[in-house]
Amino acid sequence: MIRIENLSVAFDGPEVVKNVSLEIKDGEILGVVGESGSGKSVTALTLMGLSARTARVTSGRILYDDVTLLEAGKPRDKALYRRYQGARMSMVFQEPMTSLNPTQRVGRQVEETLRLHTKLTAQERREKVLETFRSVGLKDEETVYRSYPHQLSGGMRQRVMIAMAVILHPGLLVADEPTTALDVTVQSQIISLLGEINKKQKNAMLFITHDLNLARRLCSRVAVMKDGCIVEIGETEQIFEHPVQEYTKQLIEAVPSRLKERKSDAEPRENGRGRTAPVVEVRDLSVYYQEGSNSLFGRRKRRCVVKGADFALYAGESLGLVGESGCGKTTLSRAVLGMIRDIDGSVVHNTPRPQMIFQDPYGSLNPTKTVGWLLQEPLRARGAIDASLALSKEEMEEAAYNMLRRVGLEDFYFHRRPSQLSGGQRQRVSIAQALITNPGFIVADEPVSALDVTVQAQIMELLRNFQQEMKLACLFISHDIHVVYKMCDRIMVMKDGRIIESGDTQEIFASPREEYTRQLLNGF
Amino acid sequence: MGYLGKKLITLIMTLFLVSAAAFLAFQIIPGDVVTSILGTEATPEREEQLREELGLNDPPVVRYFHWLGGLLRGDLGISYRYSKNMNERMPVSELIGDKLPVTLWLAALSIVLIIVISLPLGVLWAKSRSRAVDAALGVATQTAMAVPSFFLGILVTYCFGIVLKLFTPGRYVSYRQSFSGFLGYLMFPALSIAIPKIAMTARFLRNSMLTELGADYVRTACGKGCSDRRIMYGHVLRNALMPVVTFLGMIVSETVAGSIVIEQVFGLPGIGRLLISSVSSRDFPVVEILILYITFAVILVYFLVDILYRVIDPRISEK
Repeated sequence: MIRIENLSVAFDGPEVVKNVSLEIKDGEILGVVGESGSGKSVTALTLMGLSARTARVTSGRILYDDVTLLEAGKPRDKALYRRYQGARMSMVFQEPMTSLNPTQRVGRQVEETLRLHTKLTAQERREKVLETFRSVGLKDEETVYRSYPHQLSGGMRQRVMIAMAVILHPGLLVADEPTTALDVTVQSQIISLLGEINKKQKNAMLFITHDLNLARRLCSRVAVMKDGCIVEIGETEQIFEHPVQEYTKQLIEAVPSRLKERKSDAEPRENGRGRTAPVVEVRDLSVYYQEGSNSLFGRRKRRCVVKGADFALYAGESLGLVGESGCGKTTLSRAVLGMIRDIDGSVVHNTPRPQMIFQDPYGSLNPTKTVGWLLQEPLRARGAIDASLALSKEEMEEAAYNMLRRVGLEDFYFHRRPSQLSGGQRQRVSIAQALITNPGFIVADEPVSALDVTVQAQIMELLRNFQQEMKLACLFISHDIHVVYKMCDRIMVMKDGRIIESGDTQEIFASPREEYTRQLLNGF
Repeated sequence: MGYLGKKLITLIMTLFLVSAAAFLAFQIIPGDVVTSILGTEATPEREEQLREELGLNDPPVVRYFHWLGGLLRGDLGISYRYSKNMNERMPVSELIGDKLPVTLWLAALSIVLIIVISLPLGVLWAKSRSRAVDAALGVATQTAMAVPSFFLGILVTYCFGIVLKLFTPGRYVSYRQSFSGFLGYLMFPALSIAIPKIAMTARFLRNSMLTELGADYVRTACGKGCSDRRIMYGHVLRNALMPVVTFLGMIVSETVAGSIVIEQVFGLPGIGRLLISSVSSRDFPVVEILILYITFAVILVYFLVDILYRVIDPRISEK
């Protein structure tokens, strides 16, 4: 049994965790949900004794059974913690790639836990690691044992991390966004695995997530955190069905769900197809990549990444492209935009200058430029290509201010730089940048995946409104089926470079034809 | 064809290209060898005779392949400038045969000093929690990096030679006389070469380790209950060494190629001095061989770095 009593944690400035009290009984899974910056990860890291050196516990204490692990005013007892870490409490992290040492074989990394906490012989340790690998669903455990992290898939890496965490049957297991970096189908398996382990080992489990659907599926109780405080805590169903606090209601409201009505902005399909020409027409498109080393002697291979894609997109319509990472979604979209030239088949655009919105609002805006400059850049580029469209300096500024207002940012943001904006604001700038030239067609590649739920909802709303206003055709790429459900009129499911199923969103969600689609929708 | 085979072919091709470039460059560079040897007062007959003797009347391509063929048979050519005795010119192999070991040993000693001192220093620096140590090492390495090596050479001569009397400046001991004496003397020029590079490498390693200490896998290791020591040596060091190996490769190849100034300061009869005098007297056969030597040494170092990289980072050999 774990008790966190009135815990407050501060870094150099104000407290980021304020007076948090939690109790996790053995065999119970407590979910902590909240958006980034809500203090949920700091709470977990403090509990595990892994918080940064600069973190100070300003009040409260942490109890493990009856042992006080940490108390305000006293320095962290490293030796005490070291006896608990790995043996009686352990943690699974978000990024299974970076959380494993890239230069050590994974078997050795898992075995290290045993070496630190048990007196088993080398042979016994090896046996136990292999056995644990099997129990977390890793097939061919001998090969896995010898592998380096980069040789395993994301799901396998996370299973290795879980094996490392549960090998000594710790009384406390903390999982911090353990599935966020994984594909949907794998996500579902990992969640089931965590549930199974909890049933078998009866450990107290703290499950941290921003994904309310996951929390609902796995946890028996849920705590909602905001700005370092717990705003609401209770039985999962109680919280989801009858939330008391306004913030909890907002959070639940923001999550796209099939229970909520979705409205289509596309022109009635019969009309659209019958009379107007499609905005984009893709016929039997195959896309190739050159593979192989750049060296003088390496032989290059031409690999087909997208096979025979065939679809059309009409004005005002939003077409969702779903599939797991590596299935060819992004490659297809790049080929449609003409960014990859090695193709068979044809792509016909009936509007000029398609635009793109990217996933990572941190990496895709030049950090040295101001927002105003960034917004004018597409206009400048357009003017440079076609002199008849060139605008004067004043006109461009005017257009940029206009666009800024339309994406809901105030005028003073014109002179800010990307680093001074939040993730949501940056994504608004990205959208403004894409739409300022009035394109008829945009590609949105995971435009909300990096954002918190409530921000996600706002950005999706914004995109929907623009689509309606501008009669914009949108190819919407996402791995998140909830988002796709909310945003798209039609869906294409992609697997291994092929579009295996496509159709009306409602129809596909109601009765998927392919087994793979069913798997994808499983978590829905 | 394996990785080594490919690398070997690349190495040979590079050497071939460099040899051609070096040879051709000296055909283009203005200045007549014959005039520079005989002076402007010589008779046309004497000039013609020397031209014939040196094989300068053949077309450049023929001479290049002639020279290359000689190289492959181990014949490095004949110096234009140096003579063995009154009637015989000095073969290049004899000319550098005496000097190359001095330069090679100097480079080797410098490299050993760099590695042996900078790596532990970098690790200790990264581990140190004391602000005073951090600041002191920061200033010390900054200074060592900024001081030019010839000045360091003078300082070393003064401190170790004149004040501490650990060696006698200017009294070079040949490796033929006493090998230990030779190494003892080389120690000090090697130190002058190594000090700035030790500072750079230590700094680099320390920064690399501090970066790695913030990595996610370090948090995982903490979560397992690893001690600080175990985290440092068991997890961080190997990952932190990867960029350092590349950096060391650059430093080492620089050391192999560039000990010219220090050889002058300490009066060492290495190839540095020979290189300078050969270039200024247009003794092309000697210069060409020295260029090839330096190229070969640099390529070889990068080759070794490449292999070392593969040993440290399992991700590389797959690609």
